Amino acid sequence: MSLAAEAFVSQMAAAEPWPESATLYQPLKEDQILLSDCASSLAVQAYLRMCGLPVQVVYKSNAEYMSPSGKIPFIHVGNQVVSELGPIVQFTKAKGNSLSDGLDDVQRAEMKAYMELVNNMLLTAELYIQWCDDATAAEISRPRYSSPYSWPLSNVLAYQKQWEVRRKMNAIGWGEKTLEQVYDDVTQCCQALSQRLGTQPYFFNKQPTELDALVFGHLFTILTTRLTSTELAERIKSCSNLLSFCRRIEQTYFEDKSS
Amino acid sequence: MGTVHAKSLDPLPMHGRDLGVHPDDLVELPEPEQESKQEILENKAVVVQHVNVQGLGRTKEDLLGYEISEVFHAKNLIDVMKKSHIARQKLLRLGIFKEVEVLIDTSEGSDALPNGLDVTFEVTEVKRLTGSYNTMVGNNEGSMVLGLKLPNVFGRAEKLTFQFSYGTKETSYGLSFFKPQPGNFERNLILNLYKVTGQFPWSSLKETDRGASAEFNFPLGVTNHTLKWEGVWRELGCLARSASFAVREESGHSLKSALSHTVSIDSRNSAIFPSRGALLRINQELAGYTGGDASFLKEDFELQLNKRLFWDSVLSASLWGGMLCPIGGQPSSIADRFYLGGPTSVRGFGMYSIGPQSEGDYLGGEAYWAGGLHLYTPLPFRPGKGGFGDLFRTHFFLNAGNLCNLNYGEGPRAHLQKMAECLRWSYGAGIVLRLGNIARLELNYCVPMGVQSGDRICDGVQFGAGIRFL
Repeated sequence: MSLAAEAFVSQMAAAEPWPESATLYQPLKEDQILLSDCASSLAVQAYLRMCGLPVQVVYKSNAEYMSPSGKIPFIHVGNQVVSELGPIVQFTKAKGNSLSDGLDDVQRAEMKAYMELVNNMLLTAELYIQWCDDATAAEISRPRYSSPYSWPLSNVLAYQKQWEVRRKMNAIGWGEKTLEQVYDDVTQCCQALSQRLGTQPYFFNKQPTELDALVFGHLFTILTTRLTSTELAERIKSCSNLLSFCRRIEQTYFEDKSS
Repeated sequence: MGTVHAKSLDPLPMHGRDLGVHPDDLVELPEPEQESKQEILENKAVVVQHVNVQGLGRTKEDLLGYEISEVFHAKNLIDVMKKSHIARQKLLRLGIFKEVEVLIDTSEGSDALPNGLDVTFEVTEVKRLTGSYNTMVGNNEGSMVLGLKLPNVFGRAEKLTFQFSYGTKETSYGLSFFKPQPGNFERNLILNLYKVTGQFPWSSLKETDRGASAEFNFPLGVTNHTLKWEGVWRELGCLARSASFAVREESGHSLKSALSHTVSIDSRNSAIFPSRGALLRINQELAGYTGGDASFLKEDFELQLNKRLFWDSVLSASLWGGMLCPIGGQPSSIADRFYLGGPTSVRGFGMYSIGPQSEGDYLGGEAYWAGGLHLYTPLPFRPGKGGFGDLFRTHFFLNAGNLCNLNYGEGPRAHLQKMAECLRWSYGAGIVLRLGNIARLELNYCVPMGVQSGDRICDGVQFGAGIRFL
């Protein structure tokens, strides 16, 4: 999203309160969605729940193409369409809902840095495993990604997506990495997060922020998604405080709502 | 050398360059010293002994056999002339010769009969490869178009064409192969491979189609038929961020595999400014039966009747209609539905701006009808008569139509009622300009009536061009 568009959106958004009819769009949960999209979508859902903003989740097979940025998820609020966690945080802030207002500048910078770490490490690792690991791509990613389409379009779209992600991996220098190196990166990232979290309930003590939502979205999805190997989940399980962190957010924001 | 008497040619309807063979080119006037050999062949039986085709390069001779065989059946000279003329027209229609000249001569050689004739077609083949290069500007986009044509590529009037357009926003291409049946040019097969991109601002929609199609055309009595299979990978997207959510919901990829059949009867004397005759075209498309994501049955028809009145004025009436029935409970796609309105359909309304819409984006409808009544007259005071002025007509028109979605649970009576209510209509007058024999430009003053909420109107002067017109 361009800066001008972003400014415009926030201005427009500020005028109206959060409507009851807000919806979040993501691909089909059972047959289609992939680990990385599921993680991003869960992060946004966690964030909105932390803000206390109700949102209805809608599953659409063409969610990726409906999204203005081509990324999952996006929310439809009033007549606004906003995609991805970053812009959605901006958008809710303009409506007067923010989780990071209590932080000082240093903390805010730190929060942004950790969010970048998660996006650059965990999200990229998820994409790598989905599309660059041949076994996962053939057994899980391509069949799931192409499930809404009929042959031969299904094959065309799945390979097109795989090619696109591999090209991106090559561009950021991940193309040469082995699976083992990617797992090591994930371990390092988790250790960094684990150290930062320490014994606090949330990253910035008592109050959850968008960083908590993002970390929860990724870790929880990795822990609960079945892949060709359990290696990725094992790496996270070695940090016990992250596990209890996931459990805590799940209980606070997801379980009481559903019961 | 024997000569043929020129007198015999007079009764033939030979004028204009249609024939290409002027009597004077063919026949040398008898010279005095040859008078002894002069014969009057007009009513005499003749035998066509040889038909030669000269100037053939890559064209296969068996193809030409079908086109010129009739000449052998001619029994007298006038017949020979007529049949040669027809054969020449047939040869030119193949599109593989630049020029065809006919020479008729008395037979020579040892086996020559006294009343034997030889017919020689002197042909010039078109070049093996022709290319074109254009630049186009429009739709906020500039593009460069390269075209390549290989006529007569395998020697039997096949044609291979390739067009590639490289634009600042989009590239598109098309590869087409045309193969007629030898001796029956109207019966032909066309294979296509293409990628096209369209931007539809009235729907805030962008569509990229990549597809392949196979088409078989054949005449049957007075009707022309087309059977077609088409497989298209369609990618829909929003033209702008501000597109309505209804259009956004249609975004994404789909695969359409459709069988279609078109039948047409056309007795009009001209496609653009007909003064008599009628056209009926019925088209039906069944998608989903041969695979793909889209499944529907689509029917539409077009009827046009023309009648000449006093002082070269023509009364023309047309009726269009169509219906789309989704199959299997799946809603129809925005790319398959019908659209109505614009300077060559229901005039006085914006381009495709009638019917169901969402936040100003027109979504199309599953059923429509439109009718038009026109009175065409030549320009007042007939300036440029017989020349430039004949490219123009003035017309007075009355258009009406409706576009809506039907609930297929209701009966046909409810459908008819729905099509009759919320009728859009308009009247006006304007000038029409014929562009070649395929398109026309119109400049009209329109008075839209029966406007429904949500329709975009064009009250006053409206300008537009179109190939298909109501």
